[in-house]
Amino acid sequence: MDLVIALGMNGIVWGLIIALIALGLSVIFGLLDIINIAHGDFFMVGTVLAWLVVQTTGNYWLAFFIVPIIGFGLGALIEFLVIQPIKNAAALSIVATFGLSIILQESVRATYGAAPTRLVPPIDGTILLFGLEYEIYRLFAAAVSISAIVLFFGFLHRTKLGTWMRAVRFDPEMATAMGIPSRTIYLVTFALGFAMAALGGVVAAPITTVDFQAGVDILPFCFMAVIIGGLGNLEGTVAAAVMLAFFEGVMASFFDPTIARIGSLCLMSIVLLIRPHGIFAGTTR
Amino acid sequence: MTPTKINQFGILALVLFTLIAPWALPFIVDSFWVEIYSEMLIWSLLAASVNLLFGYVGLLSFGQALFFGMGMYGVAIGVAKLDFSFWPAFGFGIFSGTAMAAITGVFAVRLTWHYFAIITVVFSLIFYFMALSWKPLTGGDDGLPFSMPPMFSFGENIELSLTNSTIQYYFIVIMVGLCYTLMAIVMKSPLGRAFRTVKENDKRASLIGLNVYLIRLTAFICAGFIASLSGSLFALFGRYASASYMFYHVSGEAVVWAIIGGVGTLLGPIVGTSLLIILREELSHVWEHYQLLVGAIVIIVVIFAPKGLGGLWHGIVNQLCNWVNRKTDNSEDPKL
Repeated sequence: MDLVIALGMNGIVWGLIIALIALGLSVIFGLLDIINIAHGDFFMVGTVLAWLVVQTTGNYWLAFFIVPIIGFGLGALIEFLVIQPIKNAAALSIVATFGLSIILQESVRATYGAAPTRLVPPIDGTILLFGLEYEIYRLFAAAVSISAIVLFFGFLHRTKLGTWMRAVRFDPEMATAMGIPSRTIYLVTFALGFAMAALGGVVAAPITTVDFQAGVDILPFCFMAVIIGGLGNLEGTVAAAVMLAFFEGVMASFFDPTIARIGSLCLMSIVLLIRPHGIFAGTTR
Repeated sequence: MTPTKINQFGILALVLFTLIAPWALPFIVDSFWVEIYSEMLIWSLLAASVNLLFGYVGLLSFGQALFFGMGMYGVAIGVAKLDFSFWPAFGFGIFSGTAMAAITGVFAVRLTWHYFAIITVVFSLIFYFMALSWKPLTGGDDGLPFSMPPMFSFGENIELSLTNSTIQYYFIVIMVGLCYTLMAIVMKSPLGRAFRTVKENDKRASLIGLNVYLIRLTAFICAGFIASLSGSLFALFGRYASASYMFYHVSGEAVVWAIIGGVGTLLGPIVGTSLLIILREELSHVWEHYQLLVGAIVIIVVIFAPKGLGGLWHGIVNQLCNWVNRKTDNSEDPKL
């Protein structure tokens, strides 16, 4: 029973981190209609940048502020160079971002190296929770993810820029006619998506390993969350990510992790076939 | 001079080159390029299966590696576990891949567009993880090697086997050639026209009485057949099967080859595959991080030549013909 609780807790923590990353993916899809194959690599770049910050300054806390800002800059640059020219050919976005994914992985391999390393979490120690010793850092990671997600929804619903983003998503032509700079909004959205994935990388780096292929493993999971929550449905994405990870965590305490993964993939194909617009379709807009 | 004639000439040149390659290539470059050329032909079939779905029916599949992998495992399990001889194992490989395409296709083609791309990835991931965890049968990550059984044996001592590199080369060329010929015939047939109608506008296609679901399913099974043939050939070529070939990165690579070569053209996949494999073979010795260049080429092609190199070629040929024809017409046309 202890194992079930521990893995279930791990599942929820991991689900919150995934939710943060998948939210970026969902925003990019909802607004720009781009299926971003490179999103897992945005996360991976985040972990590597966290490692870099720790190596140069020795201070992990700095990474939580610096890395999302670097991610935002990189995202803006990529949007300008790659995404903007293919804006009118959505089918090609999958291929272009696949190329982007190759470039990101290879440049990390060229600079950082191919050997995976582990980062020491900035908070040590455990805490007694539900009768078992639980790592404090994981709770902290969950808290950071939740606050980032809340902050993002606040930004989306309470600020001018966020309102513009929702307006452009609702009707790009009308929004442009009303004087909203939709060009800039696309840039900011994509950059924000990168920044969120990068922050997810910083948060997750001490839990997983820092590896140039980390994005390849995480990408299918993010897509699952986005699909099950409904493409472009942001609240649904968050809920689906947490549910999926919890489900997989509990499954993993009974079976082999690979079997757990197969189980959640099967669950996803059933959702896709029965409710292709996500399990929450109809509850929001 | 018409574009069709130039293209026919190009195909003829390609066929001739393929036939004499085992003698011609060692003169020009190193003889190991013969092996690489046959590898290119095999991989081009995987790209062709993506091209059939995306270029002719409009479905972007990111899961063709599943059928490739099933073809590989069909052959390897047939020889290593079931003690099949050459032809039954080859047939078993193609059958398992095609059957898998038929089963998954029934579900997958109910969806289109983004959803189709994602469900094909999901299906291929499910079976990838299964192949990884079912070690006694599949060998997991290490793969499943096997020893090549003879193709034909006459009497006691005379055997025809793929261990002879010339026989192996021509076996691959014949199989790949048959597959492309079949594809060309299908594309000219009413079925091929139906494929393109569905791609252009599926609503109109259903209004003129075509069964869109059935046509998409047929195309999916055809593409699965091509991918599993490619996988079976690759298993015979490498004499092993491995789960890593079922991962979605292999499917992604095939999509990239098809799009760089130009979707919707018969020979585009060969061009795209050859170009990227030549790049890999030439650059991987010189520069360890040649993948950076591959990624950059992919993005540049998508931005500047969205129809791929095949589309670029057709554009150039058409322009050239127009230019030449106008020059010859000028003298006879009094109005200009």
